[in-house]
Amino acid sequence: MKRLLVSGFLSLSLLPLAACSNNSSPNSSANSAAQTKTFVTGAIPDQDAEKLQRLYGKLSQYLEAELKIPVSYKPVTDYTAAVTAFKVGDLDMVWFGGLTGVQARLQVPGAEALAQRDIDAKFHSVFIANKNSGIGPINDVKELTALKGHSFTFGSESSTSGRLMPQYFLQQAGVKLEDFKGQSGFSQNHDATIALVTAGTYDAGVLNEQVWQKRLQEGKIDRSKIDVIWRSPEYYDYHWVINPSVKQRFGDDFPQKVQAALMKLDPNVPEQKEILELFGATKFVPTKNENYARIEQVGREIGKIK
Amino acid sequence: MAGRGSAPTPIARMSSDPIISVDRATLQFGQFTALTDISLHIAAGERVALVGSSGAGKSTLIRLLNGTLEPTRGEIQAFGQKLHQLKPKQHRQIQRQIGTIYQQLHLVDSLRVIHNVNAGQLGRWSFLKALISLIVPLDVATATQALAQVGIPEKLYDRTDRLSGGQQQRVAIARVLVQNPMVILADEPISSLDRELSREVMEILCNCQSSQTLIVSLHDVDIALRYCDRMIGLRRGRILFDAPTTAVSSEMIADLYRL
Amino acid sequence: MSRPAFRFISPSLQWGMIGLVAIALSLWQAGLFQQTVVNLNGFPLLWRFVAASVHPDLSYDLLATTLQASLVTLAYAVCGTFLSVTIGAIAGVFCSEVWWLEVLRAKRLRYFGFHSVRAILAFPRAIHELIWGLFFLNIWGLDPLVAVAAIAIPFGAITAKVFSEILDETPRQPLLTLINSGVAPITAFFYTLLPQAFLNLLSYSFYRFECSIRSAAVLGIIGAGGLGYEILLSLQSLRYEQLWTFFYALLILNGGVDIASATLRHQLGCASRIDLNSHRPTKRNIPNRRIFSLFPIAIAGVALSFWYIQPDLSKIGSPRSQQLLNQIVQTSLPPNFTGMAELIPLSVETVAMSVLAIAIAASGGLLLAFPAAQIFLPGGLLNRRGKANLFPPVLLAVARIMLLLCRAIPAPIWSLVVLYILFPGILPGAIGLGLHNLGILGRLFAEVTENLEQPPLKALSAGGTPDSLVFLYGVLPATMPRFLAYTLYRWEVCMRETVIVGLVGAGGLGRLLTEQLSSFDYQSLIVTLGAFLALTFLVDWISGRVRRSLRSS
Repeated sequence: MKRLLVSGFLSLSLLPLAACSNNSSPNSSANSAAQTKTFVTGAIPDQDAEKLQRLYGKLSQYLEAELKIPVSYKPVTDYTAAVTAFKVGDLDMVWFGGLTGVQARLQVPGAEALAQRDIDAKFHSVFIANKNSGIGPINDVKELTALKGHSFTFGSESSTSGRLMPQYFLQQAGVKLEDFKGQSGFSQNHDATIALVTAGTYDAGVLNEQVWQKRLQEGKIDRSKIDVIWRSPEYYDYHWVINPSVKQRFGDDFPQKVQAALMKLDPNVPEQKEILELFGATKFVPTKNENYARIEQVGREIGKIK
Repeated sequence: MAGRGSAPTPIARMSSDPIISVDRATLQFGQFTALTDISLHIAAGERVALVGSSGAGKSTLIRLLNGTLEPTRGEIQAFGQKLHQLKPKQHRQIQRQIGTIYQQLHLVDSLRVIHNVNAGQLGRWSFLKALISLIVPLDVATATQALAQVGIPEKLYDRTDRLSGGQQQRVAIARVLVQNPMVILADEPISSLDRELSREVMEILCNCQSSQTLIVSLHDVDIALRYCDRMIGLRRGRILFDAPTTAVSSEMIADLYRL
Repeated sequence: MSRPAFRFISPSLQWGMIGLVAIALSLWQAGLFQQTVVNLNGFPLLWRFVAASVHPDLSYDLLATTLQASLVTLAYAVCGTFLSVTIGAIAGVFCSEVWWLEVLRAKRLRYFGFHSVRAILAFPRAIHELIWGLFFLNIWGLDPLVAVAAIAIPFGAITAKVFSEILDETPRQPLLTLINSGVAPITAFFYTLLPQAFLNLLSYSFYRFECSIRSAAVLGIIGAGGLGYEILLSLQSLRYEQLWTFFYALLILNGGVDIASATLRHQLGCASRIDLNSHRPTKRNIPNRRIFSLFPIAIAGVALSFWYIQPDLSKIGSPRSQQLLNQIVQTSLPPNFTGMAELIPLSVETVAMSVLAIAIAASGGLLLAFPAAQIFLPGGLLNRRGKANLFPPVLLAVARIMLLLCRAIPAPIWSLVVLYILFPGILPGAIGLGLHNLGILGRLFAEVTENLEQPPLKALSAGGTPDSLVFLYGVLPATMPRFLAYTLYRWEVCMRETVIVGLVGAGGLGRLLTEQLSSFDYQSLIVTLGAFLALTFLVDWISGRVRRSLRSS
């Protein structure tokens, strides 16, 4: 009995070497092989995870057919993780927001803003309020002071349309975060903001206009309970950012190829129309790093970029 | 015993040179002086009894002799070597020739008897052999023979904590027999045993080879008189007398236990 | 304390009063009497959440996802436990007193070596698994390796500490006997101390496995996958029916592991998990022979788990990881101390959060522990004359399920739920932590109650004392000191865990940490982490002091 016990103990302590080497060596090589061959896309989780999965699944299929290489989509849990995964090299191309895109490019020298939707050059946030809160429509930035004394929620900490620009506009109106009732919330994504304000958990909130419009079309919004109180001025937002490492793996002209493939999405082809619809766009247009200088400047002002 | 004849005895001297000698040793624990100015010389093959009331310093002296404790002043020599000036490896070499049976036995309860007996020869084994033996007991014959000598060969594969007190005492003796040292130190080996068992244990200890030296602390003077040829009386950390058992008088004994 | 005038104030009473004051101050810090903390408008959403518990989503697709996620969580826990026990076994030897003192026979060097090993191990222990996870994410990317290492490193350090304590508390004389008969110290160590301590070490390893399961679920939140990940996603998209399916899976997983571990530990005869304040070797039965036939199964389980999650071990030493590590170190240095002033109020908030959390956990645990222990069952300790009555068993089942639910759901998830009806701040964080720890403490309390020494209670009972008085004079006095010790120990854990509820928007240093993480402001982050470490050590020190003073009284 004792003998068994001790032998078990000894073999247990010898096991890590044996177990690890046996199992991992074949699949680690398989992993790295897969990594060099597969083009991995990702996205900041700004909406409902299931919708993202469907959207990027279709996009991956399209890119796979266009680029003739395996393309996969890897989901992440939050905005920061998307930037980190892009930095580490787990994600080759990511659909970033304005702020996260700048953060990512600052950490990966040579990363390029590749393309954006037609709407992203003139993007807006919408401030929404629960009808019971008694907050009326706002006509000017300065009137955001009406939100003082009410509970308020942002989206993710790193969201451009759900946090950065709204906080910037609030700052211009002289509203500080401490002026809200309780502490301001971070719902983590735009759909959650709609749900929390509809339920009345927060009197008001702010989100990306495109998601708002889309949910309106889908009839997912109960306008007897919530409505838009203010539409922000325009700014640059979402864009695709590609990692420079793809040039080594797929050729120097690879970013151009991907850009071309994205441009080629045609609303007249039913399959591709669906993808564009899921993105809430009519087409993709080229973009460049310089377009986001203002976002970077605001980011530094708010303290989200150091 | 197997291995006994072939056991290495590198430092054996059959002459009357002292095998252990203590020179003016004093031992203090902080303020408390446990032993004062002890000097004694023990020759190979002697059977020495340490007697005295509890707290007289018998256990402390035994631990001084086996090198567990270091004297505050004075020095201890074993086999002609000054114990506390040795390098650890040489120190271990010397200690292997001194086997100790403790009053509290200090057996590994959760191991089987054979492992506890084999622990006596670990000093001669390599680390690897010791590890393997924990899984598959090695040198079973030696252990069996030692157990047979103490009268419990059937307990070889029993768990030690399932044995009675007397049986555990025998396991502790068997461990020292397997170690086969030049000197056996025994601290109150019969204190928890009845008369019959006490006799048996003393027989076992005294029936060891004639070249082996036995130093045994006892509270029972009659047993000491019967089995030993020399008696050292300790009182309050000092040697009161050191004489052949034949020369010990009842006055000396009375003096020893006087309050 | 022992001055005659104050003799009627026992140390426990004194500490109790200090504790109450601390709780009151913490409540004030949470803003309970100064500003709005309750958000009444959130109740409808909370109700939707609660109502969904009776009709979880049982569609085939979701069940398949659930099964897969459960397996991932289980595999992370198995791999994490295996590695942490391996690390703990090796490091535990080197930070045990007996190793330095008796085996190495070190004299002057001993203090240096011993204390430096202990000090080095204190750091990985003070940093929560989630922070480790975020760190590894930055150098290894999205790989299962991240989750396994995030469990293995802090848990390895904790295991090392406990293993060293077990070794040090194991009777040392047999070891000394062998060393003094000239056996090489290291041989003597393996021959005497390890066999003596083995069952205790094994028993603690099982307990670690239970902790690893909970930790594996938490790690899902940073994207490691498994049940925690799925739960967070459904919670963010407000899909409560799916959420409850995952909750029930987590419940089954935790319950299963707890029961298996308890059964095994019982068979080994080491019923109590961590014998905190009785510093004596556990009295044990002769272990059942069948236990040892489980070793091959355990080994197969570990191998299977590694195969299932497929961590990319080549990443550990790869040049790319090395480069990313350098990059992290470079961007974190030099530390930016400009935000120091902000750290002080946030540190106070953090401590207040941990105090409130442990207060909730201990009082809730106390309420549920006695019903959850078997003492009220017919034939049990306090109901031996009782007729067979349906009420006690039902009460027992309800109490146990509530405790299981509390501890199975990770604290940040509880906090997110509480955030429906409370404004962000330390209170939702404290409640989230409190609920999770309530489940753990309640279970520990119940175990203490069941393992009470029976004879004194039987003697009371035999003297005709009514059961209620046996409870008051026998059970309570015997269990309280251990309850207190467990509570203090858990307080240390709560302190470490404040950081993870901070990540979902509860207050304190964790909140600041999240903001700094999302701004990639590593230079300030490292200062915040430093403050966090200092707080952790402070709380450990206070808790240790109180425990010692209670033990000596």
